[in-house]
Amino acid sequence: MTTPSPAYPVSTPLAPAAATWRRHSRLRRLQLTVLPLLRRPGFSLALAVVAFALLAALVPHWLTAFDPYATAPADKLRAPDAVHWFGTDELGRDLFTRVLYGARLSIQAALLAVGLALLGGLGLGVLAGFAGGRVDALIMRVVDVLLALPGLLLALAIVTAIGFGTVPVAIAVGVGILPGFARTTRAEVLRVKTLPYVEAARLAGVSWPRTLLRHVLPNAWGPVAVLATLDFGAAILATAGLSFLGFGAAPPAAEWGTLIANGRHFLITAPWVSLLPGLFVVAVVFSLNHLARSAEEAPR
Amino acid sequence: MTHRLSLKHLLASCTLAMAVAGCSPQAETDAGQTLNIAFWGDNTTLVSVDPFQVYWLEHRVLLRNVVESLTDQDPLTGKIIPWLAQSWTVSDDALSYTFTLRQDVTFSNGERFDAAAVKTAFDSNKAFAGELPATFGATYLAGYDHAEVLDPFTVRLVLSRPNAGFLQATSTTNLGILAPASYALSAQQRSLGQIIGSGPFVLEHYTPEVGAKLRKRPDYAWPSANVANRGAAHLEVVNISYTPEESVRNGLFLQGKTDILWPRNPFSEVDLKLLQSKGASIQSRSLPGPALNLYPNTRNGRVLADRQVRLALQKAIDRSSYAHTVYNAEFPVVSGVYDVTTPYFKAQGDKLAYDPRGAERLLEDAGWHTGSDGYRYKDGKRLSLRYNLSPAESAGDVLVQDQLRKVGIDLKLNVLTRAEWVAGNASGNYDLTSTYMTRADPIILQTILDPRAANSATLATNTYEPQTLEAAKALFDRGITATSDAQRAEAYGQLQDLLLDQAAAFPLYERVWQAATAPRVQGFRWTAEGFALLNDIQVKQP
Amino acid sequence: MKRYLIGRIGQALLVLWGAYTVTYLILYLLPGDTLSIMLSASGMEADGLSAEDLAKARAYYGLDQGLWQQYADLLWRALHGDLGHSLSLNRPVTALLAERLPQTLALAGLAIVLSLLGGIGLGYLTAYLQWRPLKTALSRLPSLGFSVPVFWMGLLLIQVFAFGLGWFPATGSNGFDSLVLPAVTLAIPSAAVYAQVLQRGFQGVWQEPYIVTAFAKGLSRAQVQARHGLRNAALPILTLVGLQVGNTVSGAVLVETIFSRNGVGRLAQEAVLRQDIPVVLAIVSVSAAAFVVINLLVDLLYPYLDPRISHCPKVS
Repeated sequence: MTTPSPAYPVSTPLAPAAATWRRHSRLRRLQLTVLPLLRRPGFSLALAVVAFALLAALVPHWLTAFDPYATAPADKLRAPDAVHWFGTDELGRDLFTRVLYGARLSIQAALLAVGLALLGGLGLGVLAGFAGGRVDALIMRVVDVLLALPGLLLALAIVTAIGFGTVPVAIAVGVGILPGFARTTRAEVLRVKTLPYVEAARLAGVSWPRTLLRHVLPNAWGPVAVLATLDFGAAILATAGLSFLGFGAAPPAAEWGTLIANGRHFLITAPWVSLLPGLFVVAVVFSLNHLARSAEEAPR
Repeated sequence: MTHRLSLKHLLASCTLAMAVAGCSPQAETDAGQTLNIAFWGDNTTLVSVDPFQVYWLEHRVLLRNVVESLTDQDPLTGKIIPWLAQSWTVSDDALSYTFTLRQDVTFSNGERFDAAAVKTAFDSNKAFAGELPATFGATYLAGYDHAEVLDPFTVRLVLSRPNAGFLQATSTTNLGILAPASYALSAQQRSLGQIIGSGPFVLEHYTPEVGAKLRKRPDYAWPSANVANRGAAHLEVVNISYTPEESVRNGLFLQGKTDILWPRNPFSEVDLKLLQSKGASIQSRSLPGPALNLYPNTRNGRVLADRQVRLALQKAIDRSSYAHTVYNAEFPVVSGVYDVTTPYFKAQGDKLAYDPRGAERLLEDAGWHTGSDGYRYKDGKRLSLRYNLSPAESAGDVLVQDQLRKVGIDLKLNVLTRAEWVAGNASGNYDLTSTYMTRADPIILQTILDPRAANSATLATNTYEPQTLEAAKALFDRGITATSDAQRAEAYGQLQDLLLDQAAAFPLYERVWQAATAPRVQGFRWTAEGFALLNDIQVKQP
Repeated sequence: MKRYLIGRIGQALLVLWGAYTVTYLILYLLPGDTLSIMLSASGMEADGLSAEDLAKARAYYGLDQGLWQQYADLLWRALHGDLGHSLSLNRPVTALLAERLPQTLALAGLAIVLSLLGGIGLGYLTAYLQWRPLKTALSRLPSLGFSVPVFWMGLLLIQVFAFGLGWFPATGSNGFDSLVLPAVTLAIPSAAVYAQVLQRGFQGVWQEPYIVTAFAKGLSRAQVQARHGLRNAALPILTLVGLQVGNTVSGAVLVETIFSRNGVGRLAQEAVLRQDIPVVLAIVSVSAAAFVVINLLVDLLYPYLDPRISHCPKVS
């Protein structure tokens, strides 16, 4: 990796050369990975679904003309038609619009949760993996404690403690998925640490932090990134579970979970109120999982 | 083949004829024995079926059929009528009540019902209220001092201060008379179902959050005049189950696994239509006590300290849209501070009319002008109201939020846990809050709105501006010390006027309790407090 | 080996104690005052009472102790098998658990069996099938399994199998029939995880030398897959079963609410909301104990299932 190519003139300073070589190689590697994937219809479809969800989160008003909060008692519980694609809810609000506007809160919550878990988990995992010995033992026991606590109960307690709303729910969910990240990171660090090039770098006198940043993290990153994508879906579902138990966003705003949960009262009489937002969420989470797995299976 | 078919037909028509005639003893014993009632969830904060402690409506339905009271209340007139007491006299100062008891009553464990049992019951309740002053029954017992056994079947209950609601209190489940043996047990044991009453049913078991089972008492023969069936109940067994999930509960009823579907909230229009299309009858009764009101916080310079703003808020709520959107087209529109079944209720629908233009005028006059976002502002501050609610917002809350948005008021639905909601009330950290209690006497409002007797003194105080508070207290006093009907009617009439004229309460909807009964259920009848006496019910094939 | 065992048990106890303490602190630091919740539950709010009455009520509920005093008291008694008294249910916690735990154990037990059967079955089938499109479809099924919110899956299953087809009862806790739908609901996410892990395991396994040897011995594909492939591909599942304990308890909270079962999950949820500290502590302790014990067993079992792993110090 750090071996300079003999094609370069000897006079060229080593570092910039290595940098351009690496950037080029990364881009090409990305192309090599993504292009064949894009040719697979499943992958493209999944990508489109996720992109649509992201677009809805950023600019929902581009995609619909309705007001997500304006009630229209006369139009309550309309079945899906050309005007109301997902039908209307019990107060006559357009459900498709509410799903689109709900994307922002849901995706924000999931990003926050995964971000928190990623930062915390990565930090703890790297520390444990590198320090080893007592520090490792201590950190892993803390992680074990977190794993031993049932996630939903922990989340309930955290939400009760810091209040309702999107951010507290995201924090609660993030704490719940943190131990998984810590474990995966630690395992990866331990694996990478023993690889010959890391040992070589150490022998060559490269400092620990530099070894960590330049050699260990980039190579331990893969499984963690896949886990992050998977957990992004898991976070959306966990938030939905908490919404079901009544810990959601402040009304009239609605996360996806709240929409599914509130619509469940009409499962017999107006099933679309719960089914269509539910199917939308399933589609997004499934697409995310599909993307993560495709990335994982693709030759690296 | 033909022969067999015709035989089958013959048999079928025979069975049908017998069932229609209703004289087949076989059919009666097969179908007429068990009644299944599906309530929504159980009370998970106070797990108790001890009559004195119970405020949970569903438990009071159960208890009404197990535990009996000295008196009963006529559901049509609100008059107090004899039950376990044949007659009574009230002294002129309204401080002593002398009850002459029935002599043929026994508790289900064989103990005799007599004056000593009544004294044990009242004294035990008083002792419990002394130990745990927060208990719900304490409000019914207010002023009770001691009981005197005059002879085995005459008892005098003596109050230390007047309580015009006391006679009505003796008709409630909360002051129901348990067998002396029940009071020998701990409150915990009673709470978990070890209660022995004199009612037409015996509580066989109660499993919190799952259900309860009542079994008929064959030797029962002392109902009040509210019951047509003078003897033992028609039903053999009543199974009560708690099903928190609405769609599951409704599904069980539609499948025929439940005879009475009895959720806490009224049915939505779609559910109502579905249930009716399956032949169910919808039983409805307004629960006596306050309507579902929002109570303002008028203190500490909050927005609602301004009476103009409160009056505007009153006008900006579209109550008929609420009733017809959230519930259904036939749903009554709330027309006062109390529900219509409360004695001394005064209809004031004209003061609760929807008038968004009027509301906007009042807000303009009060200096709140519309900003660019559609909400009103004054001195750079948005007209924003914090409405504390727990445990979750209803569709109705969101509807009101949108109604208020149309006149420029920003209603923040502040969803809280029970604990935070309680703390919010106590610290006055709200603009609007809501609570209710059910009792067929206007006195019940004191537990919400009289700071001297209310559950939350802060909430009760904050509801009124200072000068209004004094007026309200005086009216509550006149109501509770009154000795004649006319005096009570006048006091509570003026109180209802005061509450709406000062916009100290914002009624949203009539608390109608609805139950769907399957076609085979006959004889469902409401009590004055909105419960049901099950000894009249029969389960037959229609 | 003995030293390893003692160390592992020590660690397990440490984790248990940690879980207990963390839970206690979180609950104690919740904003609401337990007393005012209790009072409000019985229809009264704290500010309606005089200071004297408040003190009485505090004593009635046993809330007149400080943070650490209560903690030490609870922990000390828990170590002696007394899990305390539920504040709102008026009953000893041990009695409550004795009543509720069997419900949840039956549910979780069946769910674990179903998830293993379903997960391993699906994983095995995916690996065995040769026809590409079906293989791909099956390999995507697990993703679908954990893309569906648990509570929603439960409600849909009720609509279809209880109300639509009438095969199983929708609610209740009587008999095996009533256990099927909730257990299936609870099993689906775990089964999806197992299936996915197994599918991945099988992908790696075909290249292993011992598989090649097995084929060389003349065994059929099915025989090889069952005798050699499954055993090795399934090893990671053992670890996962241990880790799924927490998820099963979380899932039980939702499933028990939907199917109106009165198990420990629902009890826990309600206890958190009303800050019934002894009950939550007991449930967390029990589920943490289950987690710790199962993981300990898994660790101890590993060397027997996979000879490459040993807990004894290596000679080298």
